Amino acid sequence: MLAYRGGDARAFETLYSRHRARLFRFVLRSIKVRALAEELYQEVWMRVIEARASYKPSARFTTWLYTIAHNRLVDHWRRGGLPLVSLDDHDAPSSTPDPAHHAEARETLARFAEALEKLPPAQREAFLLHEEAGLSVPEIAAATASNEEAAKSRLRYAMAKLKAALDDG
Amino acid sequence: MADELDPKVSQRYQELRTEEPPRELDQVILAAAHRAADRAHAPLVAPAGRHRWYFAFGAVAVLVLAVAITVQLDRTQLDSEALTVASAPPVSEVRKEREGFSSEPGALADQAPAREVPAPETRKKSAPAAAPAKPQPAENALPPQAAEVARVDRLESRREQSLAAESPSAQPERKEQAPAAPAAEAPSNQEQGQDQSSAVAGSLLGSELQARGSREAAAAAAPPSQATARPQAKAQESQAIAAIAPPLGPEQLLERIAELRREGKHADADKALAEFRQRYPEYRISEQMLKKVERPK
Repeated sequence: MLAYRGGDARAFETLYSRHRARLFRFVLRSIKVRALAEELYQEVWMRVIEARASYKPSARFTTWLYTIAHNRLVDHWRRGGLPLVSLDDHDAPSSTPDPAHHAEARETLARFAEALEKLPPAQREAFLLHEEAGLSVPEIAAATASNEEAAKSRLRYAMAKLKAALDDG
Repeated sequence: MADELDPKVSQRYQELRTEEPPRELDQVILAAAHRAADRAHAPLVAPAGRHRWYFAFGAVAVLVLAVAITVQLDRTQLDSEALTVASAPPVSEVRKEREGFSSEPGALADQAPAREVPAPETRKKSAPAAAPAKPQPAENALPPQAAEVARVDRLESRREQSLAAESPSAQPERKEQAPAAPAAEAPSNQEQGQDQSSAVAGSLLGSELQARGSREAAAAAAPPSQATARPQAKAQESQAIAAIAPPLGPEQLLERIAELRREGKHADADKALAEFRQRYPEYRISEQMLKKVERPK
């Protein structure tokens, strides 16, 4: 990010390729409508571009990036609630050509999506930040502007509920 | 952290991580990033030029402001000083007296260079102040404001000189003289002559100052320009003002005339005495003092 701040556009390409899929999934699983998720995803990256001059390497770039994403999501939630993305709305490309496996995967995905949908927003966000961004508990706390105890608790509850959903299946 | 991690949940979720942003969105974002990076380069050149221009403009503006403020302060300070000085001795009167002296041949101006100045350090102190006080034609050539400055300088120098003329030797005589003067008359004369005395003292010493001014002007190979001389003169003015005592009374003037008489400057003494009588027609000079101030027969 420092290189990009200095005018190196290739540095941004590297950053983008490293984080694009994870960030997109984080946003997509937080918002129900895919078009809206894409819009929000684009807004997050535009914010990164605009705020490059004010970027300070005091924390990991990942934490900074997901802090921006969290803030954009909070804005979105404030505007119109929190609909969870319906994963059935789009056909995810599957790497498994086997139809039986594909069906099972879809079933698992649906069950998992249902479990995710039932999670409170804060717990879902903590889970997504952990799984998608690879953030630790302190980093989740920093990205969501909360304390470590709260972040840890949210993540633990989310994991427990998702595990219960999987076990039920 | 280990408590809240469940490999099974994570594994399930990993299997479902298949979504990616559309390519079009990638291109839009990357294009925006490139544009921003290009914009980041451009200002490195353009603002540098603008900043140079700002710096130059700012420096010039600061200089102009500083000069303007200095000039303005100069003017206001000068005006207030001129008012303070002018309230004690009437400038026009002093000028008239001085012109009267200098216009006559054989006046004090001709003899002044031979006369000793009683307090050399005072003279040294007032020298820079007298420097801008050029001879009369030079003053006339100056702009009105500069001429006013020169006049104020001269007045200050004269006051200083008249104070310096009160030598310790003259003090006892004055003490002797005081009881001899009529008790009722003295205060009224004092009051009457209070505002005139300084002018007379100025006229007594005016010629000397003029002569000294011309001497110093001649001695200075390159006379300081008005701009450089003014700050020095102003510093001296403030010192002189601080050192100025109340103006000379008629008795002190008589002492001064007596001193001139003792020094053998009878022409000066006669002129000063005549002027004194003109100014203080009702003042009764004691016999003891008369002997001192009148030309011996």
